[in-house]
Amino acid sequence: MQNGDAVVEMTNVRKEYSDSIALDGLSLTVRAGEAVAVMGPSGSGKSTLLNMIAGLDRPTSGSVVVHGSDLGVLDETGLALFRRRGIGMIFQFFNLLDDLSALDNVALAAQLTGTASGQARKRALELFGELGITHRKNVYPAQLSGGERQRVAVARALMNRPALLLADEPTGALDSRSGEQVMDLLLDLNQIGQTLLLVTHDERLATRCATRLIEVVDGRIAREHSMERA
Amino acid sequence: MNPVWHAAWAAVRRRKLQTIVIGVVVCAASATLVMALGLLEASAAPFDRAFATQQGAHLAVAFDPEKVSEADLTRAAGHAEASAGPFLQATVDTSTGDVFLGTLTVAGRADPGGPVDRVSVWQGRWATSPGEIVLNRTPGAVGRMDVGFRISLPGRPALTVVGFAHSVTGSADAWVTPEQATALQPTALQMLYRFAHAGTAAEVDAGQAAVTAGLPADAVLGTLSHLTVKDKATSELGVFIPFLMIFGVLGLVVAVLIVANVVSGAVVAGLRHIGMLKAIGFTPNQVMAVYLVMVSIPAVTGCALGTVAGNLVGKRIVQDAVEGFGVDELSFAPWVNVVAALGMPVLVASAALVPALRARRLPAARAISAGTTSRTGRALRIQRWLSGTRLPRPVSLGLGMPFARTGRSALTLASVVLGVMTVTLAAGVTMSMTAYNNAVRPTDTDRVELLAGPPLGAPVMTQPGVEPPAAKLSDAQDESMLRSLPGTTAVLATTQLNTEVAGGTQEARIVFHRGDTAALGPRVLTGHWPDGPGQVVVPSRFLNQRGLSVGDTITVQARGNRTQVKIVGVVLTNNADQIFADWSTVDVLAPGARASSYLVRMAPGTDRAAYTAAVSSGDPGLRVLPPRDGTSSTAVIIISAALVLTLVLGAVAALGVFNTVVLNARERRRDLGMLKSIGMTPRQVTVLLVTSMGALGVVGGLIGVPIGVAVHRLVVAAMAHAGQSDAIDILLDVYHASALALLALTGIVIAVLGALVPARGAARLSIATVLHNE
Ligand SMILES: Nc1ncnc2c1ncn2[C@@H]1O[C@H](COP(=O)(O)OP(=O)(O)O)[C@@H](O)[C@H]1O
Ligand SMILES: [Mg+2]
Repeated sequence: MQNGDAVVEMTNVRKEYSDSIALDGLSLTVRAGEAVAVMGPSGSGKSTLLNMIAGLDRPTSGSVVVHGSDLGVLDETGLALFRRRGIGMIFQFFNLLDDLSALDNVALAAQLTGTASGQARKRALELFGELGITHRKNVYPAQLSGGERQRVAVARALMNRPALLLADEPTGALDSRSGEQVMDLLLDLNQIGQTLLLVTHDERLATRCATRLIEVVDGRIAREHSMERA
Repeated sequence: MNPVWHAAWAAVRRRKLQTIVIGVVVCAASATLVMALGLLEASAAPFDRAFATQQGAHLAVAFDPEKVSEADLTRAAGHAEASAGPFLQATVDTSTGDVFLGTLTVAGRADPGGPVDRVSVWQGRWATSPGEIVLNRTPGAVGRMDVGFRISLPGRPALTVVGFAHSVTGSADAWVTPEQATALQPTALQMLYRFAHAGTAAEVDAGQAAVTAGLPADAVLGTLSHLTVKDKATSELGVFIPFLMIFGVLGLVVAVLIVANVVSGAVVAGLRHIGMLKAIGFTPNQVMAVYLVMVSIPAVTGCALGTVAGNLVGKRIVQDAVEGFGVDELSFAPWVNVVAALGMPVLVASAALVPALRARRLPAARAISAGTTSRTGRALRIQRWLSGTRLPRPVSLGLGMPFARTGRSALTLASVVLGVMTVTLAAGVTMSMTAYNNAVRPTDTDRVELLAGPPLGAPVMTQPGVEPPAAKLSDAQDESMLRSLPGTTAVLATTQLNTEVAGGTQEARIVFHRGDTAALGPRVLTGHWPDGPGQVVVPSRFLNQRGLSVGDTITVQARGNRTQVKIVGVVLTNNADQIFADWSTVDVLAPGARASSYLVRMAPGTDRAAYTAAVSSGDPGLRVLPPRDGTSSTAVIIISAALVLTLVLGAVAALGVFNTVVLNARERRRDLGMLKSIGMTPRQVTVLLVTSMGALGVVGGLIGVPIGVAVHRLVVAAMAHAGQSDAIDILLDVYHASALALLALTGIVIAVLGALVPARGAARLSIATVLHNE
């Protein structure tokens, strides 16, 4: 995929829940190589936006096209297969499996695609090396610090070399120092070509690593600016 | 509203699925409990119950109408506590009819009720006009005749079956109206008595003396004590009691286990919520109260519904199971319902109390973080090992899951084990029963039974105009004629003799066999078939009832001849009072006797009609008996009851698995959401959850089958003991390797059936919802 090609195209996406409207006719295009930071007040629809792109939920109306495929026509299994290859996700609360070691948590993502466990571990070890957590590979999530857990989560998201990395408040549960380290990590990834869409509350971090910043209010894009990275 | 109520009610409403599961499980368990207790109670003394309900006769006496008048009998009966009769009694030989019913004792009774022997009409109606007959048959039993069947015997008035009734004391084989009885040429007057004391043989004898005092000594043709009937009933039907009892016990245990699992699981699943309650100021006691109330609301509802359902549905099932004992109108004793209605809530409360007490002590912070804390070392080691295997990831993750919640897994495993055990046991008893049935009463359609004449000293009741069977050829000629017919593969010649066995109170019958005894005679279990004069083989019940053993010598007396015979083996038969001897012994006891019947085995494919025609043209004096019905109706009843009970217990076990998957999926919903977010398909999630239970199913199968086999041995031994015979190999060794493998699979079936629905539900759950709510 060439830099500049559209990776995500959301058109007039509306998402209603029984008691609220999470997205209100939102349109957004994300191009390859971009690092888009999404900001906005709590409850404004940021997580919903990410969920739509990852195919974790379906819009009430409007269309979502990712890597050229219209998510609206995929069934649940199709969406799962799409996520395996096309999407890496990072959550605020890491969402690691408590009963798998750090390395196994990461290898898991590749094993789901049918990769042999030896090969999956090899790739996971490479990522551990790149993320500087090799010494923690056999430790269980409960014994890892928040920052370390999020690095493990990042490694897991990168396992299948996804074209798009989605991060929902990845630093929200971290102290500021660990938060910065994780942000640096994401910035590095973007600089070697990883397309990135991240939700954050921290404007300073956002401006430091994003190439574009959008602000969502009440399920619509209220403001948007492109910027030069610091 | 009080805060405890408020919080409990909110919890009930928020956890709809859990509330429903608790309600359903407690309902099913209560119904099973009622059924199990009812079964235990009903199978405790079915004969005594049925006897009491029917006001059974302590003594039935047949009088000679030539010697006493009806008025004398009625007068003498004043010495009994209650009496019924005199009823005219006739003997009808059906061997000339289309269907062989043996020799029927027919009594003329206007009314099935009365002070003694209240015969219950369970199908059709009582005979009210001439030409109608009601047959004595165990309730629920099926035979080849139905209401409307016409019994027509040459020279007799035709009788139409209008109903089936059952007399616990077996006062008659059939009943007709008194007028009809007169037309059947009655030979006796039947009197039925109840005595104030009739618990022992001496008391019954004293009663008999009282009611026959002043009557001519030779007026009594025969008597039947209820003790004899009970002996027979308990040794024949009592055989099944251990089997029914064990089902009652299994039902009880399964019900208790599953409730403990579901209720404690609900409390454990609520640990986070408990922490929250504490954080906002609930006292430990209030927290405990919230949880007790939360599970009590569905539990009490379920218990009430289940007790009612148990009385409606469970009673039907138990009724079917014990009907064979003559229990027609089953009603569960009050204690059954009291125990179920009070015991179940107590069980629920105690199952909830243990984890609730733990919750009460738990510091709020620990409770809030419950579920994300590190797991035990063993669970982690196992999961690590599984991660390294070549198994597909959803499978290895699923296999590790049971180790994260060992208590819950153990309870689930226990209910699977019980389910497998029940299936194994039921299958085994069914196979044992089939084996027994095949051995003692072959259904074989390839056999032909021929009557050559009356057995020695036992004149066949014949009617004017009907020729009794009377062979035209000699015994030897008949045998060689039969052997020469095309299609004959084996011939067994038989005659029998009533004898007295010295020292025994009951009469016995010696059956003499000649010819192909190995092919057509009873199966020899130990020792050998008699190979010379003075040797007999006997059923084990004969030995056990008389305290004899193989190798002993007994004295038999018949037709004025007395001889000593040696017991050389044990054979398998249904009748305890039959002993078998070689033809050479006939010459000692009844010199010159001929065979009274022949049993022939035809080659496969031989046409029965053509064959019997050939027999008749060879010796027109031989009478061909209609083929016998080989199935035992009691066996059919018990087997179908076993099937229903097995299905019920299997379903309850599967419900336990269902609940565990619901709880696991609930606790792990965040993990499952994450797995889906990294690309796990719904099918893989289903596989993961089903595998986690499948593993328990495999282990449950491996544990449950051997236990089931062991319990089967115990139950069959107890059944044999109740039947006063010995447990023998063909009854014990019924499980073949393939059957065992199949039975072990039932563990997986129970686990997968229970897991599938909640697993699919969890797989379909929206990830966005899960992640949003966390
Ligand atoms: N799964 C869901 N069910 C019901 N309501 C939801 C769900 N997800 C989000 N919402 C609602 O949609 C709105 C937007 O939520 P969200 O996208 O999570 O906001 P943000 O991430 O910006 O805080 C909120 O009002 C929230 O309550
Ligand atoms: Mg959010």
